Amino acid sequence: MSEPDVQASDEERAPLAATPASTLPRGEAVPPETIRGLRPRRDPVRVLVGAAALAFVTFGLPGMIDRFWLQIVTSVVIYSIVTLGLGLLIGRAGMVSLCQFLLLAIGAWVALRLDFATSLPFPLLVLSAGVVTGLIGALIGLPALRLSGLYLALITLMAAGAITVVLRIAQFPNGGGGFFGNSAAGGASSRLPRPAIATGDTAYFRYCIAVAVLMFLLALWHVRGKPGRAWAALRQSQATAIAAGVNVTLYRLWAFALASFMAGVAGALLAAASGGVNINQFPVQNSILLLAVVLMGGVYSLGGAVVAALLLRLLPALLDDWGVSTELLTILFGVGILQVLLTAPGGLVDQVPKDLANLGRGLRRLVGPRRAGDEAPPP
Amino acid sequence: MPDLKPFLVLGFALGGVFAMSGVGLVVLYRATGVLNLAYGAIGATGALITWSLLDAGWVPDWVAYLACIVFGGAATLLYGVLFGPPFSARDPLVKATATLGLLLILLGAMQWVWGRDPHGITLPTSRWNYDLFDARVSGTQVIGVVFAIVVTTGTAVFLRVTKVGTAMRALADDREITATLGVPVRRVEAAAWLGSGLVCGGAGLLLSNLVGLDIVGLTFLVIPALAAALIGRLHSLWVTLAAGFLIGIVQSSLTAFSEVAEYRTLTPFVLAILALLWFATRRRQTPAGSSR
Repeated sequence: MSEPDVQASDEERAPLAATPASTLPRGEAVPPETIRGLRPRRDPVRVLVGAAALAFVTFGLPGMIDRFWLQIVTSVVIYSIVTLGLGLLIGRAGMVSLCQFLLLAIGAWVALRLDFATSLPFPLLVLSAGVVTGLIGALIGLPALRLSGLYLALITLMAAGAITVVLRIAQFPNGGGGFFGNSAAGGASSRLPRPAIATGDTAYFRYCIAVAVLMFLLALWHVRGKPGRAWAALRQSQATAIAAGVNVTLYRLWAFALASFMAGVAGALLAAASGGVNINQFPVQNSILLLAVVLMGGVYSLGGAVVAALLLRLLPALLDDWGVSTELLTILFGVGILQVLLTAPGGLVDQVPKDLANLGRGLRRLVGPRRAGDEAPPP
Repeated sequence: MPDLKPFLVLGFALGGVFAMSGVGLVVLYRATGVLNLAYGAIGATGALITWSLLDAGWVPDWVAYLACIVFGGAATLLYGVLFGPPFSARDPLVKATATLGLLLILLGAMQWVWGRDPHGITLPTSRWNYDLFDARVSGTQVIGVVFAIVVTTGTAVFLRVTKVGTAMRALADDREITATLGVPVRRVEAAAWLGSGLVCGGAGLLLSNLVGLDIVGLTFLVIPALAAALIGRLHSLWVTLAAGFLIGIVQSSLTAFSEVAEYRTLTPFVLAILALLWFATRRRQTPAGSSR
């Protein structure tokens, strides 16, 4: 991995394959702190803080919350794998998929089906669910890959509709016969047996965190390595990328398959979570909500995936708890899409620290006019 | 072989509305580069407003029906005026993604205001029944078919003959050059937004009658319209019209075959994939953005 390549790709990032200039609000030059803020963070302090936070969430948090909130936090961890994949696809490869949420359902379905058909151990089930979902995702994307990104987005939207239809008919396997493995007697929800080392809720929560960490490392490895550079080149200009010898179709397909793989892995984990899975958890509009939270969280940093998962799973639960209608959240996410695309391409992860810094500066100016004077250049 | 006639009639009507929606999408896309994915949501909101007006009984029925079409035009125009210019220089993918924001806003608002229970509108034309080839045909179904053909023909003539239509075609080729030539770009775009929105309102009203007024269902009825538009390569009005009819007829006819009847709503997806595969074999390595 060579250092300059990574930096170049990070400085010239552009969301959704737009030209770099158009990602900024009109008439604004690139502010220097944006570029600094977007560089890969190798700060040892940050790494330590991140590791401490992870350790706290893994070992401290389960003891502090009750079973309901533990389930919510587990699902946040699982969904962060899906948002990670979609974030990579949008932010790095510049492609949009609107069927990721349904691929999650496919991952759960495959894991359940394999569990009823074979006696694979849990990690292999998760892996094969990921691989099969990755293949299905690649198949969906394949016809549109040679056309522009808009066609791919449209095909995935239609695929989302199509998968919903098939899922409603097939249902999740619950021990019935035939290919679909569903029988009316088996009940609406299906649940995958958990691995022997993580049968309890707390243990399973930690198991999910371990898988999520592996997925984040996989993502990091892709971003910092050759695929990341190829995607960065592709996002800038397809013609230049071809001239530079990047295999356009292969790397696009790879990005799509990788995002689908992650959705599949998350699906398998979800199938073993408390309550299992049933088809009512996968309405077609959630694919669009997923896109909204991923954009709002921030597609240019891996931390954005965690924020996105919090927005998607924790926020509705909190609002429900406070008695606020969750439909308002749908409206908020809609506004969020427009806001991110118009003014804040980096999402919350990028925007909040910047806004807080601005607010802090504003407050300092407001509270201490003398200190503001100190910053004036000497005459 | 089951008797297909009733399904063919319904298919023609459904296909007409898909075709009409597809044409509305294509016209807007050609003029502004925006593929309006919130098309179904706007139509659904309009139809729900009509339902509320009918339910309250404050206004004559025809005003309520008109309200759906007017809402479609007004909401689309408002979005176009507010968000069209800031996004004008962006990739078509970004523009389409932004309309998903509108979709979510409308979807959330609909679910908040009108709840999740189904509502229903019955247009007076649905009560006019005719017998055609042993099948019952309602007035609404006839309107669906006729309207699609009229809208497509009207739009094609409009684009070819009128000054605004010529300006729209110029915009589709190059926005900057068109602006340099002195065409009031924003006003022409606004006209495209309004026209597309009015068609959208009309389609919403007809669809709420033909397939039922279900919030999520109507919102995602944009999918068959998109499939029709995609088969028309987001450019050809006539291919879109034909594709809309084809999707409607195939989908409806499949109802008659019990083995595949459950899967009939996959039709738009399958046909669009087939069309894309066919395009892909005919065209190598399309540069991004050149597909406009």
